[in-house]
Amino acid sequence: MKEARLDFLRELANIGTGHATTALSQMLNGRLFQLVVPDAQMLPFTEAAEYMGGAEQVVVGIFIVISGDVKGHMAFLQPLESALVLLRLLTGIEQPELDELGRSALQELGNIMVTSYLNALSTMTNLLMVPSVPGLAIDMAGAVWESVLAGAQVTDEVTVIRTRFSADGEDIEGHILFLPDHEDFEKVARLFGLGEL
Amino acid sequence: MAKTVLITDDTAFMRMTLRNVIEKNGYQVVGEASDGEEAVALYQELQPDMVTMDITMPKMDGITAIKEIMKIDPKARIIVCSAMGQKPMVLEALSAGAKDFLVKPFDAERVVESLRKIGS
Repeated sequence: MKEARLDFLRELANIGTGHATTALSQMLNGRLFQLVVPDAQMLPFTEAAEYMGGAEQVVVGIFIVISGDVKGHMAFLQPLESALVLLRLLTGIEQPELDELGRSALQELGNIMVTSYLNALSTMTNLLMVPSVPGLAIDMAGAVWESVLAGAQVTDEVTVIRTRFSADGEDIEGHILFLPDHEDFEKVARLFGLGEL
Repeated sequence: MAKTVLITDDTAFMRMTLRNVIEKNGYQVVGEASDGEEAVALYQELQPDMVTMDITMPKMDGITAIKEIMKIDPKARIIVCSAMGQKPMVLEALSAGAKDFLVKPFDAERVVESLRKIGS
């Protein structure tokens, strides 16, 4: 059962992440952007921060609450260094640290990525998934992770999808997390004829 | 005289991006709103020829703001610029009175094309 659930989530993640990456590539004016096949893992959430590079690593996190036909939470987390590379590619300006405009740019970029992901799933399922205004946090992964999970109906395990991109020969790493509420996840699974997972 | 535009988006970065595109193409940006409430107030005050409207914003979302602006001015010309491109949301925005819907990320040409079409 766990394998079937993971396979299904992996498939959703492939589609959603594909769209999110396409959106990102468009924002970078179509600069070549390769996506390494996303790696999906189902982990106890205590281990998830470790999987994402360690609880102590400083990350930039953008998170939203999803309402509508499917409720849940979603986040895009990336190491600060990756965020700064992305920002430079986006604005053409080298920034040693994040200023207000930089934060705003990353917030918009994260928002467009997670919303593109949701748009793809919405088209597939014909279900409405409305994103909230995104929150932005820059902190150690452990702390950001707690912000993401606050309020999410996560009981024990979460599925984390790790994606890697590269543009102009630079590596960018990011993690997209999609945490649908349990009963809504079942609703989506049923639509695909998967029954109880 | 250049046509005037009011930009509405909750992120400063997107407002700046839109301003650059709009001004480069011969339009005049007369104001920037960072949420729906502000957009409605600025619309009344500035009476712009066109408005760009984000959907997901704090205080008042874009759909509500479109409805409010249409109450003030049924001839208002509003272009939605939002990442939220799901069909029910697009239909809701258009039935509320929006004249066009651009899904982010959009390219500059698409914005200009919409301004030309809606502004004429």
